[in-house]
Amino acid sequence: VSDAIDHSGRLPEDELLAAEYALGVLGGAEREAAAHRVTREPAFAAMVAAWDERLAPWAGEIAEVAPPPQLWDRIATALPPPQPARASLWDSLAFWRVFALASALAAACLAVVIYLGAARPGAPLVAAIEGGGQRSFVATVDVRRGTIAVVPAAFTGDATRVPELWLIPPGGKPLPVGLLNGDKPVVIAIPAALVAQAAGGATLAVSLEPPGGSPTGAPTGPVIGAGKLTAL
Amino acid sequence: LDLEANRALLVAALGRIPAGDRTALQTVYRLTSAKLFGVVLRILGERSEAEDVLQDVYLTVWRKAGDFDAARASPMTWLIAIARNRAIDRLRAGRIASRMEPIDAAAEIADGAASAESALASGEASARLAGCLGTLAGHEQTALRGAFFDGNTYEELAQRMSVPLGTMKSWIRRAMIKLKACLESNEP
Repeated sequence: VSDAIDHSGRLPEDELLAAEYALGVLGGAEREAAAHRVTREPAFAAMVAAWDERLAPWAGEIAEVAPPPQLWDRIATALPPPQPARASLWDSLAFWRVFALASALAAACLAVVIYLGAARPGAPLVAAIEGGGQRSFVATVDVRRGTIAVVPAAFTGDATRVPELWLIPPGGKPLPVGLLNGDKPVVIAIPAALVAQAAGGATLAVSLEPPGGSPTGAPTGPVIGAGKLTAL
Repeated sequence: LDLEANRALLVAALGRIPAGDRTALQTVYRLTSAKLFGVVLRILGERSEAEDVLQDVYLTVWRKAGDFDAARASPMTWLIAIARNRAIDRLRAGRIASRMEPIDAAAEIADGAASAESALASGEASARLAGCLGTLAGHEQTALRGAFFDGNTYEELAQRMSVPLGTMKSWIRRAMIKLKACLESNEP
């Protein structure tokens, strides 16, 4: 059939797909699939970027049109609020990072000491939440008071999502605990049932969720770290 | 050169955005919003939609400025790609109609030839692209223009130029292969 796509060209299929995506000629599922590959595959993204570079000068033909003056105000309003100035030691991220490191070290030392004896009932539980080679948060469960304190360590957020803490009982589904703050420690009161779960060898995990937290009650965003709770 | 000064300003401003510097985003907006609004408006054809998309473009720039690598890409190319992609995504969402009036290959070539001359005035890269586009067959140029400037899909272009879908795919793919070869043989 003379209308068939010509495969005798020297460009491989991925390169042609990158060209089609950059040109904007794909629709529906094909466009979505290509856009997804751009975010996942650096080699494919580089091909698309090279085509963007080839085609962009064509936009020189398009006349400039000044947007309405109030558009900048709309954009400025839609930006996430600026980070509040950090005043006290309690609000200092640097302090808490050092503190988190120190407490994790202390916890490790204590764990060694306690290993020799038996953990007391009602002893606090700790978990270092780690993933991708980074410790993002350190959490301590106060079993007596029914609270969980979470201190940020090497957590870098993004502008659109918030960290949410989950408690995962052994063999169970993640239970929502609460939203965390990447810039300062938070203390969350947890119900007795959750304290009992926590004491039974549960794991804590942090996922990135839309502002306000997961809309479904289960993690919807990427999990950035997890750690098992152990008794001090 | 103004072009070079602008580029340096843009690169510096994009570099300050990841630290949360709003005035840096405002600088990028001041330098580029008229161009990007023109691009978005050309694809969408409707002002209020174009304004929404332009807002979305700068919020995307705010979030993604950390991905921009000045060693690999020109800032204007990066911004134009974001603007075109956002506008095309809005078109594909289907709330507004794509441009669908029939296009006649012969009429569009004259248009392309005229703009090739104006492109000569606006920099070496534009002149090189215009020169290479000029080596393509008329129907190929017309199809690429419909995709680039109107945001048309293969299906829409096939309909506008009254050819089967397979023919349109073949035209565009062949045209892109020739375009790449021409641009690479004319590299400065």
